Amino acid sequence: MTDETSEFFDRISQPMPRPSMGGVTATLRIDLDRGKATEHWLVTINKGNISVSNKNVKADAVMHTDKELFDRLARGEANAMASVLRGLVAIEGDQKLLIIFQRLFPGPPKARAAQSTMTQGARPA
Amino acid sequence: MSDSLVNILDGNTFVVSDNRGDIEATPTDTTGLFSFDTRFLSKWVLTIDGKRLNPLSVDDLQYFETRFFLVPGTGTIYVNATLSVIRQRAVGRGFHEELTILNHDDKPVDINVRIDAGSDFADIFEIKDAKGKKGKYYHRIDKDQLLLGYERETFRRETAISSTAPAQLDEDGLSFSLHIEPHSEWTTDLDVVTALLGGGERHDRPKYGRERTKAMPDMQKSLEKWLDDAPSLVTDWESLKGTYRRSLIDLAALRFAPPVAGGASLPAAGLPWFMTMFGRDSILTSLQALPFAPELAATTIRALGAWQGSRVDDFREEDPGRILHEMRYGETAGFEEQPHSPYFGNADATPLFVVLLDEYERWSGDTKLAREYELQARAALAWIDEYADLQGNGYISYKRRNEENGLENQCWKDSWDSISYRDGRLSGYPLATCELQGYAYDAKVRGARLARTVWKDPEYAETLEKQAADLKRRFNRDFWVADDQYFALALDNDGSSQVDALSSNVGHLLWSGIVDKSKAKAVVRHLMGPRLFSGWGVRTLAEGEGRFNPIGYHTGAVWPFDNSFIAWGLRRYGFKAEAARIAAGILDAADFFSGRLPEAFAGYERTYTMYPVEYPTACSPQAWSTGTPLLLLRTMLGLEPMGEHLVVDPALPTAIGHLAMLDIPGRWGTIDAFGRGRVIVDTKTRLRPQLTEGATGR
Repeated sequence: MTDETSEFFDRISQPMPRPSMGGVTATLRIDLDRGKATEHWLVTINKGNISVSNKNVKADAVMHTDKELFDRLARGEANAMASVLRGLVAIEGDQKLLIIFQRLFPGPPKARAAQSTMTQGARPA
Repeated sequence: MSDSLVNILDGNTFVVSDNRGDIEATPTDTTGLFSFDTRFLSKWVLTIDGKRLNPLSVDDLQYFETRFFLVPGTGTIYVNATLSVIRQRAVGRGFHEELTILNHDDKPVDINVRIDAGSDFADIFEIKDAKGKKGKYYHRIDKDQLLLGYERETFRRETAISSTAPAQLDEDGLSFSLHIEPHSEWTTDLDVVTALLGGGERHDRPKYGRERTKAMPDMQKSLEKWLDDAPSLVTDWESLKGTYRRSLIDLAALRFAPPVAGGASLPAAGLPWFMTMFGRDSILTSLQALPFAPELAATTIRALGAWQGSRVDDFREEDPGRILHEMRYGETAGFEEQPHSPYFGNADATPLFVVLLDEYERWSGDTKLAREYELQARAALAWIDEYADLQGNGYISYKRRNEENGLENQCWKDSWDSISYRDGRLSGYPLATCELQGYAYDAKVRGARLARTVWKDPEYAETLEKQAADLKRRFNRDFWVADDQYFALALDNDGSSQVDALSSNVGHLLWSGIVDKSKAKAVVRHLMGPRLFSGWGVRTLAEGEGRFNPIGYHTGAVWPFDNSFIAWGLRRYGFKAEAARIAAGILDAADFFSGRLPEAFAGYERTYTMYPVEYPTACSPQAWSTGTPLLLLRTMLGLEPMGEHLVVDPALPTAIGHLAMLDIPGRWGTIDAFGRGRVIVDTKTRLRPQLTEGATGR
């Protein structure tokens, strides 16, 4: 079985330009409930570069939800902000970090297919 | 909103009650305590011995505070009460109400005081539709407080009600059995605290005890500081002083601190139903207020930058680089019954974001922020070319992707009939309205300036400049209606047919600088001509067009904010006297509304009605109407940053004897600007009493 969550964290740790991260430097811990256990993911953002570990340490913000929902967020099937408004995701600490972080989730699979057919213009250097 | 309703607010928390202070909402009625787009109280009714009270007077102390003077009902028309009741209410995290009952008699009195309380927890989007709720309600008495709650799956909202004086609590309210001595009084502090909860056991329980003190923040002090920090206006035009002060206070009331901004505020769109972040409204209002409250622009850039789109999502109409249209926090957004989490369906906020970043840097000298938001600005500029060109002809156009509840018209004239041909035919989609091309042009020119001076990327600057020059050349060819010498309202969905009605949009083109110098004079002739200019201001659509209607929202009414940007555009092309005429007309109109300009007023000829006829709308004040007098002050004084200096080049209507703005903040520190009235505007119709009177004395 593929683990969407691990794949997502692998993907976001790859170096690439991320306008959405701007010049942010901060840490975000993500606690995911899986049955009785809790998985921890520590996302360290350093001027837009991302590294990920499984440390359970203090962070600038903590996002707390269950693994199943996070898998769906990682596949683009669920929307992070709607989930927050509904009470499925809790945030502690600096809320802005979650807003910046949620931009890393993909859009819905159907919309992504439409996007790939669009012509991509010249992106500025 | 009816005159008898009383509004107070703080950020996106507001109370709408009747003139007794009571709330008795029906599902379709708009009274209540609202916060984060949810109604937290729909019932709040005070009785003494089972009888409702009669209002004597209402004092609107501040925008966040009201005092109600009441007496018990006697059942007759005569009021001869020996009791009086004062409710003083301030909005904070919910509201705080000091309830005082005075016994004026020389005998003691025994009374039962009752407050009935309840909540329907309606989402702001549900109120006008009165849809049934999908979740469950609960009530609970919890130690010394009454908890009203609503739960749908993990979504939970609660209202906690408590009193400092001992009360008998039940599930429907609070009761007090009182004995008040002769010439004595009884008082209690009532707190109504709102909470957004969810996620079951994972979440902290709300700490109402701790929050209680927050139900009434120290807002008076913050309003005084806000007024102190703004430049001061000295003039012999009395009504303008009043309008200026009204604008500053209303702008303070419209401040909204989104959770992403770390306590800083940006302008929300309108009070009370649009107390949230809107891309277009927050940006345009920040631009209007730049010389007066530049920090609003900084917060707008930060918040909209943090929320910038990053993926393709058709429901929310999100694209990478796109700037949001509207953010909401209620149940319908959470359950994705509405797309506002956030919704991105607009075609103008993205280029305007770059315009604001540049204009803010030019005024404030805050190059740090301009550097910090380089990537967001680049992503916004990339959106114009990569995602917005739906017609494939190098112009921004829009067509909604959310067919169910997305917006059809994604420009500021967002009603269904706003974009039409001369003969009244409506256009199709995708649609390229003209002002969007102006904004795109301005964004590229300003992006180039930032690239060269702040981001140190001359190559990118050159690319943007080339794109801008090309866009301008094509635009002046493709949108120009040659037979009548103005720019078409839009290009239709075939990418080439000119949607040829004459509209106020041509004024925005001057503001953006996309108009060829050789064409400007003809455009100005139309703007100031009788078909567009009513005497009060420029109509949204010209008289004589198929869909023209002087009371049509976007098809003939005059919008003050629209006029303020047109005046700015006229200044940009050197038409100082024309800009002064518009300023005079709109500021005269403001005087009829006690300094608070409505969103729009009717496009009747000024000599026909003698006073501006307000367009009935639900929201007042509206942010960009509030910002209008501020931008008009800027255009009348001709304030323009030039390097490290502020250029002052006044062109004031005659009969403003003198006008001075003191301590205008910016990269120059603070500077004073002075002007005298020199531009002759129409006074012969004697419709400007405050001005003609002044003029004769000089």
